[in-house]
Formats: sequence, C-alpha cells, structure tokens
Amino acid sequence: MEEWRFIDFGLVDIRDMMAMDEAILKGDGGNTFFFWTPKKSIILGYFQKAEVELNLAQCRDYTITRRISGGGIAFSDDRCRQINYGVVGTIDNELFPLDIIDSYKQICGILIDTLVHYGLNAAFRPINDVVVESRKISGNAQTRWEGKLLQNGTLLLDFDIEEMLRISNIPKEKFMDKKIASIREGLTWLDRELGEQRDMEEVKEIMKQKFKERFRVRLKPGMLSEKEKELTEALLPKYYSPEWIYR
Amino acid sequence: MIDSGKAVIFFYTIKPSGGTGAIDMDILKTKQGIHKSRGGLIRSFVSLENGKIKEITISGDFFLFPEDAVFKILDNLKGTPASREEIHKNIEETYEQENIQSPGTSPSDFTESIMKALEA
Repeated sequence: MEEWRFIDFGLVDIRDMMAMDEAILKGDGGNTFFFWTPKKSIILGYFQKAEVELNLAQCRDYTITRRISGGGIAFSDDRCRQINYGVVGTIDNELFPLDIIDSYKQICGILIDTLVHYGLNAAFRPINDVVVESRKISGNAQTRWEGKLLQNGTLLLDFDIEEMLRISNIPKEKFMDKKIASIREGLTWLDRELGEQRDMEEVKEIMKQKFKERFRVRLKPGMLSEKEKELTEALLPKYYSPEWIYR
Repeated sequence: MIDSGKAVIFFYTIKPSGGTGAIDMDILKTKQGIHKSRGGLIRSFVSLENGKIKEITISGDFFLFPEDAVFKILDNLKGTPASREEIHKNIEETYEQENIQSPGTSPSDFTESIMKALEA
C-alpha cells in the first residue's frame, strides 16, 4: 500500500501557512495530506481584489493574505472552528484525474464521506463546493503546477455568518442562480447540522480515515523537508507583502 | 498506480506570480460590470479612450489555469475596440495562445461582464 505524508499544522497564521502550502506543492516532499486551522483571517482568491471584495474598514483586526489558487475569500472568525486541509498529489489520471472538475470531485469525496459518517446528506456541487441539503458546508480551491495538484479546502464546524457579511462585499448576483435569497440561507456548518459540537480532533480523525479508504493509502506522520523549509522562507515575504495582498 | 507524472504533459509555464496588476484607475469610482458564470463571479472595471479599452481590471472568485494568464487577457484587451465581437475575439485568442482552462467560465462570460461594465 502506498504511503503518503501526513502533517497537522494546528492553529496557524495564514501567511505562514500559505507559504508552506506553496512550498509543499513546489517542494520535494511527495504526496501529502495536511490539516491546519486558521487564526482570525481572510484569504483572497488569486483573482480577487481586496478593495472590491472586502469592506476594508471592517477588516482592521484580520490578517489578510492571498493564495495562489482561484476561488473566493476564505474567511475565518475568532471561533477557530474550521478544519482546513491541503492535498498535494501527482496528477496520474487514476487517484487524481486530469480533468479539473473530476479531480475536485475526487478530493471533495473525503469531505462527503466524513459528513455521511455523521449521518448528513452531503453531496458534491460542481465546480468546487460540498453541500448538505444544498447548503454549502465546504469550499475548495485547486491549482496545478508541473504535473501536481494542490487542493485546499475548509470544513466549517462553526461559522459567524453575520461577521462574514460585515467584512465582505458580496453582490446579489452571487446568489441569483442558486435559488436562495441570501448567503444566510446558502451556508451551513457541522455544529448546526448536528445540533451539537463535535470535538475537532475527532472530526479530523474521521477525515483521515476517509482519506485512507478513498485513496487506499497509508498516512505517515511527517514534517517539512529541508528543501520545503528553505522554499517556505523564500516565499514568506510574498505572503506578508502589500504588493501581493492588495495588488 | 501508474507513475504518470511523466505521462501527463503540462502546457503551463509558471512565471513568477505577483504581477502588480496596478492600473491607472480608481476602481472604487469606476462602474463595475458584474456577471455570474457557472464557475464564479466576474467583476470588470473598464475605462475607454476613443472607443477603445484604455484600462481594464477584473476581480472575481472564478478559476482559471494557468492563473497568471489572466494578466495576459487584460494586457491584450488594452486598445481593443469596445464592441462585444472584438472583445470576445480578443479573449478567445488569448485563451488559445496561453492554453487557458477555466472550468465553468468561458470567454463569453468575461465578455458579458466587460459589456456590462461598458453599459453601466
């Protein structure tokens, strides 16, 4: 059985995490599955402009950075009840399909299997969402580099939706085709769905289990390689720089 | 499992990311065109000079590979006559040149967003 590296970065500053994320994609550590939980922060998608997408006056106590993949803002409140994951893998047309939507679906399957484990009716909603009863519970973003893919995503355990609405400028056009009146009806999170709080470590264990089953691999705890550490150091200034964040 | 890291051919060349995208336009004072494609929202900000696109920028939550080709799309649009046909043709050409893939979003979607900005 193939062995993959597994890393749990714990509670992190998102700028450091995005540097490590890119370093894992471009490094020599091989196929990797990893977790982190972001401190209070906002990550802009590659194509998003901060002053367009955010209500910057409301964002003063948030750490803001940008990621190398597209998609929408990843918002983390100070409840810190989100499991973020990363998958770096070689696109082999078997575990990871060349077709972009197929590969999203394959990796999002880990989240669906986890939610189904908790008795929820979870499904993949192309291109990149996982929904429970048509409410989004997980957003995912993928980029590709030299035959490898990097997919990041989040599983919301709890979520301050009013706070997210305060910090962002989301136009009504975003929802017009989703048969919902507003974002309030379009999002959900695990605590709400289950009517109780589950221990985050327990949910992570289930995700790991579902990952192993889906990809038929072993997960071996590991850490960043020397090369990845060097790459991270080299990438850190970018993720802290206004030129990258507010471009 | 096949070791097809070698078999899969990638057409992307990744240039150093972080292009400034800085333009001579106050986008908060510029009218925006908003169009939702299946792949995400596209917000366009455009200024014109003599019927041609002078400055253009885009913000959105769509996906496009390789990501930095978005700057090629925007650069190539500068100087293009502000008609739906010309804009669409121009974006399609960049898609071809740069081997762009954008699941759920097409050159027509970008064109629609830009046209909405022009008509705003």
